[in-house]
Amino acid sequence: MSEEEKLQEFEARIARGEKIEPGDWMPAEYRRQLIRMISQHAHSEVVGMLPEGAWITRAPNLRRKLILLAKVQDEGGHGQYLYHAAESLGATREEMIDALLSGRAKYSNIFNYPSLTWADIGTIGWLVDGAAIVNQIMLAQSSYGPYSRAMVRICAEEGFHKKQGQEMVMRYAKGTPKQQAMIQDAVNRWWWPTLMMFGLPDKDSPHHEILRRWGVKVRSNDDLRQEFVNELAPQLLALGLTIPDPDLHHDETTGNWVYGQIDWDEFWRVISGNGPMNKERMAARRQAHEDGAWVREALEAYAQKQVAGSR
Amino acid sequence: MSQWPRYEVFQQDKEGRPHQNAGSVHAPDAEMALQNARDVFVRRPNCLSLWVVPAAAIFAKTAQELAEDDTWQEELDSNTDQETYYVFQKQSQRRAMTYVTHVGEVEASSPAQALQRALQKYKGGTPYVWWVCPARAIFRSETADVESMFAPAHDKTFRMPNEYRVVAQMYEIRQGE
Repeated sequence: MSEEEKLQEFEARIARGEKIEPGDWMPAEYRRQLIRMISQHAHSEVVGMLPEGAWITRAPNLRRKLILLAKVQDEGGHGQYLYHAAESLGATREEMIDALLSGRAKYSNIFNYPSLTWADIGTIGWLVDGAAIVNQIMLAQSSYGPYSRAMVRICAEEGFHKKQGQEMVMRYAKGTPKQQAMIQDAVNRWWWPTLMMFGLPDKDSPHHEILRRWGVKVRSNDDLRQEFVNELAPQLLALGLTIPDPDLHHDETTGNWVYGQIDWDEFWRVISGNGPMNKERMAARRQAHEDGAWVREALEAYAQKQVAGSR
Repeated sequence: MSQWPRYEVFQQDKEGRPHQNAGSVHAPDAEMALQNARDVFVRRPNCLSLWVVPAAAIFAKTAQELAEDDTWQEELDSNTDQETYYVFQKQSQRRAMTYVTHVGEVEASSPAQALQRALQKYKGGTPYVWWVCPARAIFRSETADVESMFAPAHDKTFRMPNEYRVVAQMYEIRQGE
């Protein structure tokens, strides 16, 4: 078969709803886009452990501490599922970790914002994980088998992340005036960065067309963002909270909650390294890697000793 | 920095169900790979048994590869040393989590011969992906380890979404609006 025929067959398979698996023919650009997307997604899970990990020792009770520990463990595990999916395309773990630690790789912008109070933990769970789920349910239908399966597994676990966060936001919103003020402050700070998580508007997104054509993404950024706002806005308002968007309103004809202008200048400022926490996140990640060096060395020495002993 | 070998992980969810591929982990040896597999794939109570296999010991072909190329095949030879190979297939294209699932064993003297025998023995359905690996390459959780490896996840009910009554609570709040 010629390259052109292979491409036609590849696109026909995707149109039939088949998954592309490691070993199958795929265009080089499909492979390149997937490695870019999946490795960024993996890095996001790993860096995403940091804002919440910072609060584990300060959880207000044992139940909350166990929940937070379990959630942060899950994020670490999700990073592992995703690195595996990227490796199935020929990327190596070593290259990907090196790209993260050297600062070459991108990760989700949301983790460059600080978690200032305990109320942020609930807000991150409901808003940030809630937004991630909307995106990941879409990606579970992706045409690439290993990515799709990692997403199914992750979505099943993220349900807990979102609900524990929602439980906390609801409790604080119905709690003491001080708790209400804390949760309102957290919602005020996280609302807009959460909406940016869905990525640039479709018309400005450089990869959008090719990702849709090859079934890597099956819905648009704006579509997913609207679904999220439609779900969250009425619930936050029902709890007596306000949303920091004077233009937000319910459109009776479309049924949508229409939101105001997103500050994409802020998005570009943060993603290019000038957000509030970029330097701290990378420093913490490098420190964790260096602090773990002795564990890796010990495991390596033990494995070599076993091999020597069995000879 | 140099990375450790990759091990494919197979997980059995329920008694009587086959082992299924869950993903992979890196580790310096099989014992550590099994521990890593437990931490990565079994944070929730749905596992009875885990296998890890060095990725390098797996011979894999997709249906597309089989259709386009048969140069990997060898002349079948029953006389040389035979050993047991495990056979795995991806049998479904539905949007589910299933990838390759353990379907059985064949005797063969090389990975290529094992795949040829598997193609004859397990030809039912329309498998999309085939994996074979020698049985001796599989490192398994022991029955005695099941309690210590997998039971702790049972008590952590707070990891399950149905621990949180937020949907009902939100409904009550909005009814009172």
